[in-house]
Amino acid sequence: MRRQVPLVLCFLFGIAMIVTQFSPHSASQKVYEEVIDWNLIIMPFVLILAVATLIQTHLTRIQRRVEHWQYSLFVFAGLITMVVIGIPFGPQNSAFEWLYNNVQVPMDATMFSLLAFFIASAAYRAFRARAFEATLLLISAIIVMVGNVPIGDYIWNSVMSWIPLEDGPTKIRQWILDVPNLAARRGIILGVSLGVISQSIRIILGIERSYLGGGD
Amino acid sequence: MLEKLMNIDRRIIFILVAVVVIIPTLIPVNLPTTVSEPTQKLYDYIDALPPESTIIMAFDYGPSSLAEPEPMAKAVLRHCFDKDIRVIGMTLYANTPTLADNLMQKIATENNAIYGEDYIFLGYRPGALQVILGMGTNIASVYETDYNGTAITEIPLMENITNYDQIDLLLDLAAGSSTDAWIIYANTRYDLKIAAGVTGVIIAQMYPYLQTGQLVGLMPGYLGATEYEKLLNVPGDGTIGLNTASFIHLLIIGIVVLCNIAFFIHRRREE
Repeated sequence: MRRQVPLVLCFLFGIAMIVTQFSPHSASQKVYEEVIDWNLIIMPFVLILAVATLIQTHLTRIQRRVEHWQYSLFVFAGLITMVVIGIPFGPQNSAFEWLYNNVQVPMDATMFSLLAFFIASAAYRAFRARAFEATLLLISAIIVMVGNVPIGDYIWNSVMSWIPLEDGPTKIRQWILDVPNLAARRGIILGVSLGVISQSIRIILGIERSYLGGGD
Repeated sequence: MLEKLMNIDRRIIFILVAVVVIIPTLIPVNLPTTVSEPTQKLYDYIDALPPESTIIMAFDYGPSSLAEPEPMAKAVLRHCFDKDIRVIGMTLYANTPTLADNLMQKIATENNAIYGEDYIFLGYRPGALQVILGMGTNIASVYETDYNGTAITEIPLMENITNYDQIDLLLDLAAGSSTDAWIIYANTRYDLKIAAGVTGVIIAQMYPYLQTGQLVGLMPGYLGATEYEKLLNVPGDGTIGLNTASFIHLLIIGIVVLCNIAFFIHRRREE
């Protein structure tokens, strides 16, 4: 029963949503709107589940004193502080905004900014023309990088002015993005879409059941 | 010598990166910029909208990636307020409302835009796809109130707006896959016009949508922000950021080329 009911519900709702996509009839659209409303009601509960999982995971880390368990204390400190201020006073409360603007934003931005250092170091180590494909990748990457910033065109127009191609890096970069990149991306999108369709059909028909848990 | 060139200590690279970021940020250089077609298309589309048109701006980025989308948001907001185009702000990201609300308020104050008449901010609702689909049916069914808690039925800007039918454009400022979702669910199902301003790392993914016309325009990261600022003739954060990015790109290209030259010579010698 625990498996049959979700399978039947999945089948019925899957078929219903496919029908609403293709049928403009008012009854069909009413069903569609109703299901969207249900979804909107269900989604906040997903957040509750996410917070519960977060608490459970970090509580276990603290209890078992796993490596770097002390960081989990910071997770709870942050979570409790923001909840204690945010829930009763709202997100526009000055203390909540101060913490957001002066703790979360700089910390998040700092983490992302570190990428510049690691990307520079990784590019230096990894971008080596060891084979034909690697050389092709290297050349394309350099052209796109140069074409993405105005200094590329500035240098090209100053140094390579004898070549009859003004703003060369920008134009070549645009061609790489418009032609080979677009062709490859379109192939990927088509492949992914076909995969999603086939997987959805398997789920609706109950062939794919891993979302139910239990391993079969 | 060759060995040294091929194995530069990463701390030296980190110091070089820091220097190349700090100096152009402190001493900006005015480099000439050419406006690319995708940015021009977005500018032209917004510029051609009649006064009192309405656009939605989706702030779909978090604090970690604000450096690129924020200059784009500022430039487009300035353009909209200047053209008397009304802006509805919203986000699909839980950690963005404060960021987006502050940004809209700041640009609105600079341009004498009035909250509730020229712009509003709806905030965040959980369930990205459900929010996109639900707004297509009835915006009030997803956002009963704005970010300040005012019922949207009481907001003058929302008087004649029920769903996407009354929206002239949705601009998604994205650092993730939200633009794909807007295109798949809002453009395909509800025929909502979509444009995007995305971070540099995901720009290549957007080109198929641009070519099919599913995106009416596209701003590629710092470059897009700078191009838009150039079109507005108001240099801002995008121009400063792109100048810095110019030098960091040159540094990375320089060390990669240097390393490859050393690698080639070393391989020749070994052969």
